[in-house]
Amino acid sequence: MKKTFLYIASILILSACNDDFMDRYPQTSIAPEEFFKTEEDLALYINGLISLPGMGQYQADQSSDNMATTGAIEIKNIMTGAPSSQTITGGWNWGRLRNINYFLDNLSNTNASPEALNHFAGIARFYRAQFYMDMVKRYSDVPWYDQLLSPTDEELYKPRDPRALVMEKVMEDLDFASTHVREDVPTGSPGNWAVKTFYARTALYEGTFRRYHDELALQQSAGAFLSKARDISQDIISSGKFSIYMTGQPQSDYHSLFSSQNLIGNPEVILVNPFDINKDRNSNINGTVFGTYEQSPSRDLVQTYLMRDGSRFTDKPSFETLQYVDEFQNRDPRMTQTLVFPGWVRVPDPAPYVPLMNRNFTGYYQRKGYNNTTDNIAIGSLDVPVYRYAEVLLTFAEAKAELNELTQADLDISVNLLRARAGMPSLGLNQANASPDGYLMGKYPQVSGPNAGVLLEIRRERRVEFAMEGYRHDDLMRWAAGTLLERIPEGMYFPGLGKYDLTGDGHEDIILINKDSAIPTDPQKERNELGTLLVYYRAGTVNDNVTVYLRNGANGGTLVTETTPRQFIDPKYYYRPIPIQQVILNSKLQQIFGWE
Amino acid sequence: MPSSLSKTTNLPCIAIYATHYPNCKILPMKTNLLYAKRKIAIKSLISLGLTFLLMSVGYGQQTVTGIVKDKAEDLPLPGVSVYQKNSSNVAITDMEGVFSIQVNSNESELVFSFIGFETQTVAVGDRSIINITLQLEETILEQVVVVGYGVQKKINLTGAVDQIGGEQLINRPVANVMQGLQGASPGLNITYSGGRPGTVPDINIRGFTSINGGGPLIVIDGVAGAYEDLLRLNPADIESFSVLRDAASAAIYGARAAFGVVLITTKTGGETQTISYNSNFTWGRPTVLPVPVTDPYIYSRVMDQATSNTPWNYINFNDAHYQWAKERSENPAIEDVRIDPNDPNRWAYMGNNNWYNYFLNPSSFSTNQSLAISGSASVNDLPINYYISGDYTRENGMNKLVPDFWDRYSLRARVSASPQKWLKIDNNLNLYQTEREEPVTNITDIYFLTPIEVAENPDGTWANTDAGRLAARLNDGGGNRENMFGFHNIIRGTGTLLNGDLTVTGNASFKREQWNYGWERTKFDIGFGPNDIRTEGGDGMVAERNGSLQNTILDLYGNYSKTFGIHNFSLLAGYNQESYTFSSVEAERRVLISSSLPYLGLTTGDQFITPGYSTYATRSVFGRANYTINNKYILEFNGRYDGSSRFPSSNRWGFFPSISGAWIISDESFFPGTSTDLAPTLKLRSSYGSLGNQNVANFGYIQALPTGLSGNLFNGDRQVVITSAPPLAVDPNFYTWERVVTTNFGVDLGLWEDKFFGSFDYFIRNTKDMLTNPVELPGVLGTSPPQQNAADLQTKGWEVSLSYRTQFATGNQPIQFSSKFFVSDSRSFITRFENEQGLFSNYRVGQEIGEIWGLTNDGYFENEDQISQLDQSAIIPWGALDIVPGWPRYVDLDDDAKIERGFNENDPRDLSIIGNSRPRYQLGSNIDLSWNGFDFSLFLQGVGRQDYYPRHYLFWGPYQQPYANIYPWNLDFYRGQADSEALRAMHSQSYINAGLADANLNPTYPVLQSWLADNNYGAGLDIPQTQYLLNAAYVRIKNLSIGYTLPLEIARKIKATRIRIFVTGENLYEFSAIKKFVDPESVNNGFGWSYPFQRRYSGGINIDL
Repeated sequence: MKKTFLYIASILILSACNDDFMDRYPQTSIAPEEFFKTEEDLALYINGLISLPGMGQYQADQSSDNMATTGAIEIKNIMTGAPSSQTITGGWNWGRLRNINYFLDNLSNTNASPEALNHFAGIARFYRAQFYMDMVKRYSDVPWYDQLLSPTDEELYKPRDPRALVMEKVMEDLDFASTHVREDVPTGSPGNWAVKTFYARTALYEGTFRRYHDELALQQSAGAFLSKARDISQDIISSGKFSIYMTGQPQSDYHSLFSSQNLIGNPEVILVNPFDINKDRNSNINGTVFGTYEQSPSRDLVQTYLMRDGSRFTDKPSFETLQYVDEFQNRDPRMTQTLVFPGWVRVPDPAPYVPLMNRNFTGYYQRKGYNNTTDNIAIGSLDVPVYRYAEVLLTFAEAKAELNELTQADLDISVNLLRARAGMPSLGLNQANASPDGYLMGKYPQVSGPNAGVLLEIRRERRVEFAMEGYRHDDLMRWAAGTLLERIPEGMYFPGLGKYDLTGDGHEDIILINKDSAIPTDPQKERNELGTLLVYYRAGTVNDNVTVYLRNGANGGTLVTETTPRQFIDPKYYYRPIPIQQVILNSKLQQIFGWE
Repeated sequence: MPSSLSKTTNLPCIAIYATHYPNCKILPMKTNLLYAKRKIAIKSLISLGLTFLLMSVGYGQQTVTGIVKDKAEDLPLPGVSVYQKNSSNVAITDMEGVFSIQVNSNESELVFSFIGFETQTVAVGDRSIINITLQLEETILEQVVVVGYGVQKKINLTGAVDQIGGEQLINRPVANVMQGLQGASPGLNITYSGGRPGTVPDINIRGFTSINGGGPLIVIDGVAGAYEDLLRLNPADIESFSVLRDAASAAIYGARAAFGVVLITTKTGGETQTISYNSNFTWGRPTVLPVPVTDPYIYSRVMDQATSNTPWNYINFNDAHYQWAKERSENPAIEDVRIDPNDPNRWAYMGNNNWYNYFLNPSSFSTNQSLAISGSASVNDLPINYYISGDYTRENGMNKLVPDFWDRYSLRARVSASPQKWLKIDNNLNLYQTEREEPVTNITDIYFLTPIEVAENPDGTWANTDAGRLAARLNDGGGNRENMFGFHNIIRGTGTLLNGDLTVTGNASFKREQWNYGWERTKFDIGFGPNDIRTEGGDGMVAERNGSLQNTILDLYGNYSKTFGIHNFSLLAGYNQESYTFSSVEAERRVLISSSLPYLGLTTGDQFITPGYSTYATRSVFGRANYTINNKYILEFNGRYDGSSRFPSSNRWGFFPSISGAWIISDESFFPGTSTDLAPTLKLRSSYGSLGNQNVANFGYIQALPTGLSGNLFNGDRQVVITSAPPLAVDPNFYTWERVVTTNFGVDLGLWEDKFFGSFDYFIRNTKDMLTNPVELPGVLGTSPPQQNAADLQTKGWEVSLSYRTQFATGNQPIQFSSKFFVSDSRSFITRFENEQGLFSNYRVGQEIGEIWGLTNDGYFENEDQISQLDQSAIIPWGALDIVPGWPRYVDLDDDAKIERGFNENDPRDLSIIGNSRPRYQLGSNIDLSWNGFDFSLFLQGVGRQDYYPRHYLFWGPYQQPYANIYPWNLDFYRGQADSEALRAMHSQSYINAGLADANLNPTYPVLQSWLADNNYGAGLDIPQTQYLLNAAYVRIKNLSIGYTLPLEIARKIKATRIRIFVTGENLYEFSAIKKFVDPESVNNGFGWSYPFQRRYSGGINIDL
């Protein structure tokens, strides 16, 4: 009997070895052998690779001189701390490259037209170029891999490749992508013109970086990159596909780019990252972009804006001691569309907003990226302009100026279109070169030559046009202007204790009292002529127990946000160390530029 | 009478009743623990019954004497209690077994009772001399224990097996059997990381199993199940649990049982009809919670300071805030919400809240009601037995504001019949439904809420704070539901052939479950200001997920047993196959037409469908051969040939053998003392076995491109995309079974007829070929390296289990006492791992699991001079905090004037092993006492040694980050100097009284810098160090019960045979150092960030009809 069972059992077992009962397959993932068959497969994969900047870009200027921040920003930590490969451990992430190279390695098996194959390969190579550009920005020399690595590859242990080689490959990828990527792609994903915008951006970055960074000894090749930047941006301009968004409302056209629920179809926006709270894409950053969370605009940015008539604010004799309300008078209209201005009303408040003073904050507030409504659908569904045509124009102008080829006509089809939208007078080439702004010259002493004057103005234009959009840090790096970050951002100016109007209606809103005074209870507080209670702050110097830190305490000065000294070691701090763990795993990865 | 007693008290069938129970042998026996209870019940019932009968009888004094002897040995028995029923007359036999007792009349009855012997009751009649022989009760070693595919007498076991009776659970306010099994058996470790209703805990046998995890196989009525199945069992239905710890015992279950087996047997119908009703009502409140500082001034000032000492001065309260905080600190009657003085359109808040009071339920109500009817009928002398039960359980959670519960409804119908003398059919049907409802937010979110927040505005809207949003979400933001309906039917046919030598069993188990999950998110309103109420939470959404589970298991096996003289052979061979599939479809749609109608059909927005699918299959043949000589020498082989769909067909099959033996030394003629009072039983056991572990991913070897819904919008919609390149999961060419090889040595010792019983087991368990990333590769690879069977682990441990039972004669109602104590320990070391550099970031050969590498604390820096002499810059969080006086200073172990963490063990720099986070010496203890209808039981559970390095908010408060609470212990931080007089004038009295304005140069905690213990960065205080390593050992009063069984004459009035009322408490108290900070069990989830555990107070009743 028992034998019978064993017999039956062994029959079952033997048959089991080959039958379907024991073979089980997943139903929610795809075996690679079954994939890369059709063009649809390629789209399925390429859509998964997308990575676009979102609302975070409205906070990215924390790592620049446009903002003060209380946040743990890497560059700030580096300048105030004792950075090393043990403490700077971010950034060495290669998973995305693997996803891209896997696609490129497998793509050719697909049954699709050469045009389609090239299109999808182009997008993947565009992503690879972006990936490597970020790596080069951090590490300069990085190992280049254009094929999928396997765990047994010797290549895992190779040393860094030189920047020149890596950038050559990046440019090859971008050249391929800009040739083959289609114009017609799903909205929200990069097409040919987006690729070209990035291509031009990259060329400009590398060209100027090489020009201004002696430590690389690559100045000779800067011109080629700048020419590329010029040609590609010229190409985009000539296409006539894009234009600066203008409806004849200089006080609001610019701002509407950053407060629109639908940018798709906007002639200026080359690539949109769409948000819709009802599709799990929530753009609500109101709580962090406005208020006293981490960031506040710096006075240095405020001073960068020109006067409404095109003259320089910093040429005004008393510009350093102008108070908040006065500072905002007759300025470039983009200023009030970027920053909260006296008289601005925060929805749903009935009265103008009185800026809240807080220790470590500048007193200035950011409008760009803040959605001034209480409608939670609108707040959560704001589209982000990823690439704006404005950038192409400024790339064109800067590349031309760096190449000493810039003409007034070039300015008129680039910078002056942006100025026109804002209702600002045009930038004159001769005029700018005839009287370079000494104030800006002090910031960028490396700028020289016949076009120095206009180059400084183009740099101003970039800072103004793209303020709070995350461009500034990269610009400072490529211009070798890292030492500007040593200056701790400051805030509003107050000449001393006393009452101040911050809404511009001529009535005082706040009162700064002595550090040793007590703040009275409400019934004892003073009111202004409109009967509104004044907001009381005690003011003093940093070490005082007060809310408003003034440079000279009771004697006034700018608001002090911080005092920890910042040191920008040139050229070391333009780069980052490779995390120590990785150096242990691959000793051929040498640290460069003095990192250890 | 005896049989009805046996049934009504859910007693095991034991030898004395065996004659009444032909089918008794298949019933499991209880451990010694239950003996006492059974005896209590028998005694009290007999005595009560007799009392009843004797009520009308007259009185008269007479003396009775006699000798009490042991029936088997014909030797006198000293110490036997002799007492007259229903009187205070009592006597004890002397060394010669002689007793002498006064009795009231010749109608009296005498009770002879002695532990380990069956109690006898004798009518006195006219006799003045009564000689009595007492018969040995079945000893512990004679008990029948449920083992894999059969039962064995405990004396014949060769492996490490423990059996527990089901009664342990009935009276405890536990919602499921897992809660009741915690601490109930040596080596069985059940670890809860929180108190959420309906949680499946971590279960392991003998400690750390594998770096990939793995726990015991659960077998319910002979059929493999899932841990979740334990939630669905009615605790009152459980007859017994067996815990198979070693490889030899588990080997018959092969690859599923690499880390032991828990066998659960449910009740069957007995001969006599009985109806049992068990009911309890329970009120629970949180156990130990870390209670934060609530004083608004202290909170504000300390938190402000914490960030002021960092480069990120995030918290800056203004003077008006402090003034208000001071006023509220000194007079809590002042309002806690105002119009913001700086912004007349907003509310401002100044709470002093302990949010536990607002959000947690101080007496959450749970209950269990169960009813069982069992009995038998007879057709043509062939019995039909039935057992039908139902239960309702509600386990309520701690959320006060919203429903938070887990319910179970179950119905079991078990019918056994013998259509032929040789054939027995058993159908065991279990229908069950569970329902869970819980809020959208995790209850642990309250750990983030700060005291100065407020939840409600004066106008009744929810406040513009985290607390307000949490309350708003809880009340208005939607909910989560999980409903499951299932049935599990096991039909079994057993044929007995060849005069009982051969039994053949066929088993078919069908489990089907329908799962339904639903959740909706609705918008809610937040009051920003008096005239500014805003809606948040989008336009809402609804999702439903329906899943169906199918699990079919077929078994066919035969048992053949034959005795030739002193030789006994027993053979088992069988076949098993299992198929499991769970597939689900989730449908989600956005934009509710109305928040009050959160239904899928009433939405207008985008819709998404998300599928889920998992499946596996196994096939096995197995066999066992057991050879016993003279009932003294036992040898056993087990083997199983297993195939699993989780492995590629080339490596799908594995053979897993085991061998074990036992020697009952005490049966040898040379063994001393067998005829003395000591009556020792001594058995040696040993086993060796190798098992496979199929506890790996269902499709682990199949390379696959993962899919998902895109985060970005393409043409306005999220679309299905490939989310990444295929991970290098495993290399199918090298993929095979993890093997678990266990060697076990055991000793069982019984003394005084097993009144004392002890077991000791020592084991070595080698977990071989564990699947792992064999080596750390450079980050440029872009993914984890493929896993290989490339790591080994060795665990060594032991278990001791001691029990003792006795009775004290006190008057006519002796006290019955029984106790059990056990402790188990294990340590695990990595014995193979490719990590040549010995990197800490991965396992290393020689590494003990759980070891904590840390810095050695050396007090604080007192001045700048000391700071300059020791470079600690490498351990600064975010590379950005300042090292100042009051910063922790460490011992420079490698004498290089720098404090650094090494990255590998060859160069650990200043790290050394400072402790171990694995629990050691897991212990459990039961004490049961009964007297005169009263019963008392105490159950302790604990961990003898465990180190815990605290991380995150619940210990470090502001040192972690400045976004949550401050705990009272945090206030003892370093303060270099006292505050100025001007500042003191601003402080609240509470702040001054707490000494916070004074210098504190001898603190427990360092200078108060936020982010100093930041767990997101892993430097500073987040590096384990000696000063703050906590002792997590604890002993918990898991349960304390007091019951009273009503006298039978009262019970009889309602035709009951037993009525017992009881009060009981669960998690009543803990002996623990760490409970100053958190619940000792909450450390199991790492940060103590657990759903609160409950202390439960319960009362209930058991009624048997």
